[in-house]
Amino acid sequence: MQNYRRKYEDCLRRVQKPARYIGNEFGSVHKEKTDDMMTFAFCFPDVYEVGMSHLGMKILYHMLNERDDTICERVFAPWDDMEQEMRKNGIPLLSMESCSPVGGFDIVGFTLQYEMSYSNVVNMLDLAGIPLRTSERGSGDPFICCGGPCAYHAEPLAELVDFFILGEGEEVNGEIMDVYKEWRGSGKDRDEFLMSLVGLGGIYVPKFYDVEYNDDNTIKRFEPNRPGVPKQVRKRIITDFDNCYAPEKLVVPFMETVHDRIMLEIFRGCIRGCRFCQAGYIYRPVRERSVKRLTGIAENCIRNTGYEEMSLSSLSTSDYTQRQDLIDDLLDITVDKRINLSLPSLRVDNFSMELMEKIQKVKKSGLTFAPEAGTQRLRDVINKNVLESDLIRTSKIAFGGGYNRIKLYFMLGLPTETYDDVLGIAELAKKVIDEGFFTIPPEKRKGRSVSITVSTSFFVPKPFTPFQWEPQDLISEMEAKAKYLKENIRSKKIVYNWHNSDISLLEAVFAKGDRRLGEVLITAHSLGCKFDGWSDFFDYDKWIEAFKANNIDPAFYANRRIGYDEILPWDYADIGVPKSFFIKEHKRAYEGKTTPDCREKCSGCGAASFGGGVCFE
Amino acid sequence: MSKRRLAFSKLNMAKYISHLDLLRCFTRAIMRAELPVVYSQGFNPHQKMTFSLPLSVGVTSSREFADIEFEDGISDSDIMKRLNLTLPPDIRILSVGAPEISANDIFAAEYEVTILSDSHCAELPDACKKFFAQPEVAIIKRTKKKGEQELNLMDFVESAEGFRECGDDARFSLTLSAGGQKNLKPEIAVEALIDHLSSQTDIKITGYNIHRTKILYDKNEPKEFN
Ligand code: SF4
Repeated sequence: MQNYRRKYEDCLRRVQKPARYIGNEFGSVHKEKTDDMMTFAFCFPDVYEVGMSHLGMKILYHMLNERDDTICERVFAPWDDMEQEMRKNGIPLLSMESCSPVGGFDIVGFTLQYEMSYSNVVNMLDLAGIPLRTSERGSGDPFICCGGPCAYHAEPLAELVDFFILGEGEEVNGEIMDVYKEWRGSGKDRDEFLMSLVGLGGIYVPKFYDVEYNDDNTIKRFEPNRPGVPKQVRKRIITDFDNCYAPEKLVVPFMETVHDRIMLEIFRGCIRGCRFCQAGYIYRPVRERSVKRLTGIAENCIRNTGYEEMSLSSLSTSDYTQRQDLIDDLLDITVDKRINLSLPSLRVDNFSMELMEKIQKVKKSGLTFAPEAGTQRLRDVINKNVLESDLIRTSKIAFGGGYNRIKLYFMLGLPTETYDDVLGIAELAKKVIDEGFFTIPPEKRKGRSVSITVSTSFFVPKPFTPFQWEPQDLISEMEAKAKYLKENIRSKKIVYNWHNSDISLLEAVFAKGDRRLGEVLITAHSLGCKFDGWSDFFDYDKWIEAFKANNIDPAFYANRRIGYDEILPWDYADIGVPKSFFIKEHKRAYEGKTTPDCREKCSGCGAASFGGGVCFE
Repeated sequence: MSKRRLAFSKLNMAKYISHLDLLRCFTRAIMRAELPVVYSQGFNPHQKMTFSLPLSVGVTSSREFADIEFEDGISDSDIMKRLNLTLPPDIRILSVGAPEISANDIFAAEYEVTILSDSHCAELPDACKKFFAQPEVAIIKRTKKKGEQELNLMDFVESAEGFRECGDDARFSLTLSAGGQKNLKPEIAVEALIDHLSSQTDIKITGYNIHRTKILYDKNEPKEFN
């Protein structure tokens, strides 16, 4: 082990950003390993500065380390230069804290935040020297598990992963360690451990299910292959979110990370039900933390980290019911200490002048709004309750208040979209300038000029949304729409940029794919695919080669309209919202009918069965 | 309001913390310690902090120096005690006091250099010694201001001595010009040495370590900076 450390240290001399690999940050947890301790390698399948920006990892890392019987260490994907050094010098994937080989841990857990990190999961297993397929692993190998939002539809990883954790790790991870403790040394085999996990609920073990296919490649049968395994695994969530664990000590990185600040999680879930948004359904129901608890956490985090910035984290910050009180209380504890408070994810419709002035007291940055679609018709289809008049009114307030940069996010390729809807994006952006800025009398304008950035991404139909049955636009259609939009944006004050279309296709394939894609992943890895979320690495041609080599047509997954009665590869997961609700919502979308948010009126989505949150407010 | 000089060590993996990251690390440690620090005026106030002599990334040090301005009423020993609780483990405060010597008087820095080898080779220390005995070694120095320059390494070497074996490795002490007037990063000297060893000898070098042992001031009567 010491051996690796010396070689590893020396590699760092030859790589960019060596601070990615040094560990020993303030707040990192270093425990003495004794024989009776269990070890958990918490892997983030992306580079350090991305992984360290992720709140979920911080929570679970500290929570597992609070146990006396468990050591949890962090692992990140080494950047390409470091990977090459490691492979050249025979160094396997190592953990941050003790520089221990990941293959020697008891449990290796990956968090799956986005589909495009799957190739990194494969690469990290390979670099760790862990056999890639579950069927190839034996008694000397660790158990590989995955959690995070993609775990609800991670069939493409079914051949590689021993078990998936469905739901919130805070609720389940401790129990997993308890089961492991019992199992270890009991002489029982690996399957018996996995069977005990199944008993906890919220654990999906893909090898305990058999899948058969029809001639047209759709799924014929998806059934448990042994007694005691449920047909559907129900997610596990925290019902008492106000009193659940929240870390008050954090690891403070040396290098700048993507979100280099305290992230205060004010609630989980979202009351809205935007029909394209998976997060809006899988985290149901909304559960809030109280102002009192939040200020307590904030005070401790400030004391324990020394961070100069704090942001409120949630899917839609301005939906927090006690937002005025919370912001007042937080400003009380941050202003004197020169700590910036930033509020992301503001919604247009309930954005108030007062709220904005309060933030301004501390920091004024650009504002971001996400109308998602350019016309009211299409916004109704996707259930994004943003009115044009709201957006213009808010822009006016913002421009009048001294903001001079507004970013607008849209999606291209949404179900039912026409070229009029695409044109609507250009028109809406223009109106924000004409009516939001030019109607302000020149003497009252702060700042000489304003700019609008319009960003579009391509719609990716996601499992557990009303649009899960929808086909994605073909790449040619996506590009034609982006081009059309570009031609129709003529103002110099509007900047337009759009995301890559190839990658959106891959995202759709892996979001909706089945377990036959496991071999595609393995082939893609052998062709050198990794860091697919990074444009410097993403190589579409290699992926196409990998699909061809395995005789798989990506269009089958991405561009096909799926029937309501088809068995879906993610039917194994029960997120609390049944398919019938999504069918109802899908039909309403086509009728252009909106659905009220949870606080306006409950639409009976099913999530009330968890017995907490907004459903009982 | 008074300026204090903090002497600190930067060891182990902390050698890979860049100058900017170190600045941020100190700023946050001071926040955690809730020490009364002075902020600059202006639009973007920051803590008033300067390091006496930058340290290259990849080099450890026994004794570095940071000058930081504190409000009155906080004792040197309190600063040291509290910061040692809030700094990461590989950075330790060794002493705190009023700065007496100006960083402008720094002229050199002494390094302990270890040349790593996987196999034993008795000639290694001597080979290193011979390298530094040459009158002229051309090196390329890159600076933002002057771009690439070809210079003689030996113009920057104040002394190279104490060549010895250390297990399979070789170790020696190297003093190089440092400071505002004339400065050479130690890794440039060491990499020139390793280039020489790999092209002129059969010795297989696997890497190196550089550790700054002291900073020197007053060229006429060299003394350890403090
Ligand atoms: S049951 Fe009603 S209130 Fe609860 S999450 Fe579903 S729609 Fe919202």
